[in-house]
Amino acid sequence: MISEPIPTAQPARQMANRFDPYEDNGGTTMALAGEDFCIVAADTRQSDGYHINCRYAPKAHQLSDKTVIGTSGFYADGICLVKRIKQRMEWYYHQHDKVMSTPALAQLLSVMLYQKRFFPYYCFTILGGLDEEGKGCVFDYDSVGNVERVKYQAEGSGKELLQPFLDSQIGLKNRATDDVLDLTEEKAIKIVKDAFSSVTERDIHTGDCVEIYIIRKDGIECEKYPLKRD
Amino acid sequence: MNTYPNPFSEAISYQRMEQYDQEHLESLSNISPMTRTQQPIVTGTSVLAVKYKDGIMMTTDCLASYGSLARFKNIERMIKVGNSTIIGASGDMSDFQYITYLMDKLMTKEYNANNGQPLAPENIYEYLSQVMYQRRNKFDPLWNALVVGGYQDGKSFLGYVNLRGTTYQSDTIATGYGAYIAQPLLRNAVEKKNGELFTEEEAKKLLDDCMRVLFYRDARSLNKLQRATVTAAGVTISEPYSLETEWGFAEHIRGYGA
Amino acid sequence: MFLTRSEYDRGVNTFSPEGRLFQVEYAIEAIKMGSTAIGIQTSEGVILAVEKRITSTLLEPSSIEKILEIDSHIGCAMSGLNADARTMIDHARVQAQNHTFVYDEPIKVESITQAVCDLALRFGEGAQGEESIMSRPFGVALLIAGCDENGPQLFHADPSGTFTKYQAKAIGSGSEGAQTELQENYHKSLTLKEAEVLSLKVLKQVMEEKVNSVNVQLCSVTPEKGYRLYTEEEVNEIISAI
Repeated sequence: MISEPIPTAQPARQMANRFDPYEDNGGTTMALAGEDFCIVAADTRQSDGYHINCRYAPKAHQLSDKTVIGTSGFYADGICLVKRIKQRMEWYYHQHDKVMSTPALAQLLSVMLYQKRFFPYYCFTILGGLDEEGKGCVFDYDSVGNVERVKYQAEGSGKELLQPFLDSQIGLKNRATDDVLDLTEEKAIKIVKDAFSSVTERDIHTGDCVEIYIIRKDGIECEKYPLKRD
Repeated sequence: MNTYPNPFSEAISYQRMEQYDQEHLESLSNISPMTRTQQPIVTGTSVLAVKYKDGIMMTTDCLASYGSLARFKNIERMIKVGNSTIIGASGDMSDFQYITYLMDKLMTKEYNANNGQPLAPENIYEYLSQVMYQRRNKFDPLWNALVVGGYQDGKSFLGYVNLRGTTYQSDTIATGYGAYIAQPLLRNAVEKKNGELFTEEEAKKLLDDCMRVLFYRDARSLNKLQRATVTAAGVTISEPYSLETEWGFAEHIRGYGA
Repeated sequence: MFLTRSEYDRGVNTFSPEGRLFQVEYAIEAIKMGSTAIGIQTSEGVILAVEKRITSTLLEPSSIEKILEIDSHIGCAMSGLNADARTMIDHARVQAQNHTFVYDEPIKVESITQAVCDLALRFGEGAQGEESIMSRPFGVALLIAGCDENGPQLFHADPSGTFTKYQAKAIGSGSEGAQTELQENYHKSLTLKEAEVLSLKVLKQVMEEKVNSVNVQLCSVTPEKGYRLYTEEEVNEIISAI
């Protein structure tokens, strides 16, 4: 017996060449928390596919004397997000007569990202700084506001290369040797530099220069470290 | 379709337009959601610009294409905004003319404000970037890649912004096909100078050389171009001119000339 | 004041030629008829004390609530039109919760006071874009007590939308006498225990009835325990210490 073909739902007619509002400008960011300091680093390359748009388009931004933010992904969204955060911090300052603390900012950022749940900011954010006790803290986000407080984190196009390296060197995960980590500032900066040099070697969206922000209780310092430009 | 890397090529292919027309007819009979500019129609190709000793130098050709048809051959793709800024555009020409109108409106407002503080190139660039980004947020983009050049108070400015609001500033900028072909040549020339800036003559030659290569290889280009400079003396946009070309080599390449 | 009544009395937002807003001034008058409320700030925490007017023997005293919690670290005592306070405290509670939601931290006492005062002048026609919610000014004054990073604090908010920080403050019908009394007995090294006793001592002097555990309400806000309303037994204990 020949049966009738089962009618299936017609797929919705696709718009011809629908506008894609997103772009991936790549870039790698990372942060790590020390006992009384924090480091946030981001490379400065902006790319679009195989193009290098620009060799110096900063992705890490200082928000206060205690907080630095790093964004990668869609550059325009990242810039817009940072702009809005700065605005919110200004309002907060006038309303409550104090500078927003890093944990407060961390929560605000999560709320701001989630508010755009159905048209998200396509960026991968890391927030680093000192908390109210002066301890280093790092907050890691996805593009819709999921947040986690961590000790160290890599994000962006080089995350898959960078995170295992940090797991080994800072998290001391799965190591044959059982040495104790004394994460001094000098050691941490060296690890960051090596990390970015290594990522640059293999990730085409990362390179040119890395900006390393060192956050201490008496201020923030920014160090530029050149990377390969190929 | 996937071998030709012009970002607009897919959108402006004739096949697409037929498909669009077909769908448009269909949409008359059934209610469909509102649609906005989803593709560029009349388009301009590359814009090139560099920083040099006296300010900014920028070039574009005079062509506006309708798909593969060289439709308008005397179009100006650079506009002067105020006395120290220039904007060059690739992409949709009607959207660019709307931007021209926006800039005109902005400058009229500034003139009326008469606050003795002319808008710096950075300010115009920021304004334009916000317009572009906000339009992409509304899913109604201005389909352009724009280059803003300026010179004020002894400082050169060169910035890029596109239909998604992506921005960057650099010593050399090339849009469209020029990003593939001219940008490497421009960067190479800058790096050879080792931190020193081009003289006017060097910049002219560099851009002409790049435009020549683009004319050889970009099917949507025209050998009728304009050169603009922004210096302490203000903005000048040259009359259209042509470059010397040499096609003799094509004779020996199978599938090219012979 | 009541003799100068004129057409400027009618529009709630109309200035008199002398530059006064009568309706706001009358609202402040309304508080002077309300029950007495007292706040005392010490280095260990803040005490709020209010009298309850038990107007009938058939009245259930526990149904009168004049001290309320805004957030776990902020409490509030009121005097005047109690019903108006509901609107303000509702607003304050929402603001406090919203602040914790957005910033993951308790809101400052001054900020919550400001938030309440922002509401106070939103009466009458309503300014451009801002919806007005009341046809007249609030007829209630609040004593807002709380502890934050700046330590224990006490604020007074009145119907004009003005707020002031106090070490000790009395509002309501007995406020004049009570304020003088507070002024005489307050000193910076007051302990929380002493403040508890002082607050009831002052209330006792201005209240018509005899103070007992039913016709007064007492709460403390301390850095350790936050807002805490005292039980009848605790109040009795303090009364016996007077």
